[in-house]
Amino acid sequence: MSTLDELKEVIINGNAPAAKRLTEAALNQGTRPGDFFAGAIIPAMDEVGRRMRECEFFIPEVLIAARAARASTEILKPLLAGDSSVRPAGTVVCGTIKGDLHDIGKNIVAMMLEGAGFRIVDLGVDVGPEKLVDAVRREGADFVALSALLTTTMVNMKGAIEALIAAGLRQQVKVMVGGAPVTESWAQSIGADGYGKDAPAAVELARRFIAEAARGMSAARRGAA
Amino acid sequence: MADHRTHRVVLRPIGVEVRVRPGEPLKDALFEQGVEFPCGGQGRCRGCRIQVLEGSAGVNAAQQERLSSDELAAGWRLACQCVADSDLVIELRQWDSAILSDESSFAFTPRPGLGVAVDVGTTTIVAQLVKLASGRVLAVRTALNSQARQGADVMSRLQFALSAAGRRELEGLIRRQIGALIAQLLFAANAQADQVRDVVLVGNTVMHHLFCGINVEPLSHYPFISGGDGLQVLSAGQLSWKLPADTRVRFLPGLGGFVGSDILAGLLATGVGESKDAVGLIDLGTNGEIVIGNRDRILCASTAAGPAFEGARISMGMRACTGAISEVTIENGKPRCHVLGNTRPAGICGSGLVDAVAAGLDLGVIAPSGRFANGGSAWQLCAGVALTQKDVRELQLAKAAIASGLVMLRERWGGADPARLYLAGAFGNYVNRTSARRIGLIDYQPDQVEPAGNTALLGAKLALFSRDGENGSYTRLRSRVEHVSLSSDPHFQDVFVEQLGFTENIGAFVNARHEESIYEHPGRT
Ligand code: B12
Ligand code: FES
Repeated sequence: MSTLDELKEVIINGNAPAAKRLTEAALNQGTRPGDFFAGAIIPAMDEVGRRMRECEFFIPEVLIAARAARASTEILKPLLAGDSSVRPAGTVVCGTIKGDLHDIGKNIVAMMLEGAGFRIVDLGVDVGPEKLVDAVRREGADFVALSALLTTTMVNMKGAIEALIAAGLRQQVKVMVGGAPVTESWAQSIGADGYGKDAPAAVELARRFIAEAARGMSAARRGAA
Repeated sequence: MADHRTHRVVLRPIGVEVRVRPGEPLKDALFEQGVEFPCGGQGRCRGCRIQVLEGSAGVNAAQQERLSSDELAAGWRLACQCVADSDLVIELRQWDSAILSDESSFAFTPRPGLGVAVDVGTTTIVAQLVKLASGRVLAVRTALNSQARQGADVMSRLQFALSAAGRRELEGLIRRQIGALIAQLLFAANAQADQVRDVVLVGNTVMHHLFCGINVEPLSHYPFISGGDGLQVLSAGQLSWKLPADTRVRFLPGLGGFVGSDILAGLLATGVGESKDAVGLIDLGTNGEIVIGNRDRILCASTAAGPAFEGARISMGMRACTGAISEVTIENGKPRCHVLGNTRPAGICGSGLVDAVAAGLDLGVIAPSGRFANGGSAWQLCAGVALTQKDVRELQLAKAAIASGLVMLRERWGGADPARLYLAGAFGNYVNRTSARRIGLIDYQPDQVEPAGNTALLGAKLALFSRDGENGSYTRLRSRVEHVSLSSDPHFQDVFVEQLGFTENIGAFVNARHEESIYEHPGRT
């Protein structure tokens, strides 16, 4: 087994000290910092997502796996700072909607997206429209991920999307929503770009948005030619 | 024409008639009528005593042990232990004894006329007609809350009531329904409307607001503080009830947040606020209220466990009624299911679910993480009923919510840990305490935990007679209550994650690897 394969295994099993040790070992063996993502971290977190969906993993297992992934990325981040060939898959601004303090689901979504190579700006809980708009503008976000766990707060997602429109930022970002009371049809009715029933779905959505944007761009180029 | 395969059982004083098959325990039939079985029907507590007035019902060893020979000769039986041998007329003593029992320190002030006590639950409403001179219960009625068609849980109802029209609709539904229940009580007891002097209602904060016509908007979002949860005094005339127009109708005050007068009533019923030593009270309902207190100080919180203990969100879940698996034990290395009504199992109720998971853990079918040990997706409990992996996960969420609430309240309490815990509500009556401990729902020795029955209703009844409740405002008692908001405590999540597993070890496992919190808490510092 290569060191990267081993790293993938220990991340899945949530062994943070081993993840740290193996990351250092692989660096010493000459693995380039940028290669850890496709080679270990992203496939590991994809596997964690799969196991979560199969009910094999539950919240604690997912959290310690994400934690182990972070033990590795923490070492890599400073090394990647100067490397312009490695860029995050995109920036996600996430948070729990105004009036709501439930954040366990949102945290898992954030960790899975992070594990999939996205840059996360987590606004925390009780996030109102102004705070969201500010962060999207400041961080140059590509995606917004909003969570709601209460029937009474999920309506505030609509206000958040309206605020993005009013601020002229709606075209810049793709908005995904989720949380126990949220449904696909609700997401559509408030004009969100996607709904995810679980954390792996958030990753799938973000990847789909990227693929669609790429297709859209090549179509536009063909149109221009 | 009489059906010869069943026995007719008439219940006094409420005049209800039920049918039981020969050999069928009386317990199941009586349970459906709202009779409570404080020790879960194990023949230990005598709380389910009945007196057989006509017909015969067998005596077993448990009854011989718990009842004196005089009592047995006078027809006293333990309802949880006996089976009808013929048609029966029985008298229920449970509803009276709670008020009149010698043990209770409660100051009983007899007065003429009748009173009505109502527990306005989100799901179920229970109303009793009481003789104010003696405390005797003359009639009982139970009904499903008619607001339920506009949402099963309080948040869905709040959402519906955010529009003025929605609020008026829910208010009308509940007022009409309770008015009708009172009319039925009077009819059943052959009593006159003008004998009714006093009506006391208790319920959670949302039920309180919706009944009294108070704006629910502040309850729909953080910080969930309404300010309007004090004592509400209305009159029967205002409510268009068929009672003398000036009959006093009181909805008792809440304790803060979502913790309502049902819990205040629970304090009255269990004496938490008078105890020298710290005691706890837990209502294992959807909102999972927890109280720790003594005569100096009372802490309370709600944990939002969700409805898993009522069988909701469980693939084959159902309420505790005929056909539900209510108990699971292990026999010869296999699960053995007890089904309410001794019929074919149709599903599983909350107490069965807790037992099943405890049995699964003991049998090694379920690993400490909650995962089925063989990697499967379901576990067949008996012909027709299986437990899925997702069911176990739902139970983990619900039990972790309660368990972490209790852990955090105990931490906040600081002083001597409560040595005694009362369990309120039907599920608390039925759940096996050893199983509850096994799954980590309640980390207390079974003999420290005491099922206390419908403490909301009992407390409401006590309020009918009370002299020291300042007419129902309970200002002094409430001034000692501190409402603890778990939502704004950043520590909650770590405790919650720790409590999700089935042994203390999972917490140790998480902590051993990460000295600091597993989460970062953006926006919460
Ligand atoms: C834990 C919990 C709490 C904790 C919250 C701790 C915290 N920091 O989060 C505490 C005890 C504080 C709490 C408080 C309250 N709670 Co609460 N709580 C729960 C509970 C038990 C579990 C929720 C949870 O964490 N699930 C686990 C996570 C992982 O699941 P999830 O959030 O759904 O997330 C997954 C998916 O939905 C998805 N997802 C989530 N967000 C997003 C976003 C995107 C973009 C995508 C793609 C996907 C996605 O991915 C996640 C992972 O797969 C549920 C009941 C239950 N059994 O489910 C009630 C529940 C959610 N709570 C409820 C209520 C009513 C409350 C309170 C209002 C009442 C009270 N008793 O005080 C307060 C309000 C708190 C507040 N200010 O917001 C109700 C909501 C009912 C309704 N219809 O609205 C529930 C359903 C319980 C119930 N039936 O009564 N609660
Ligand atoms: S003795 Fe029958 S319920 Fe306790």
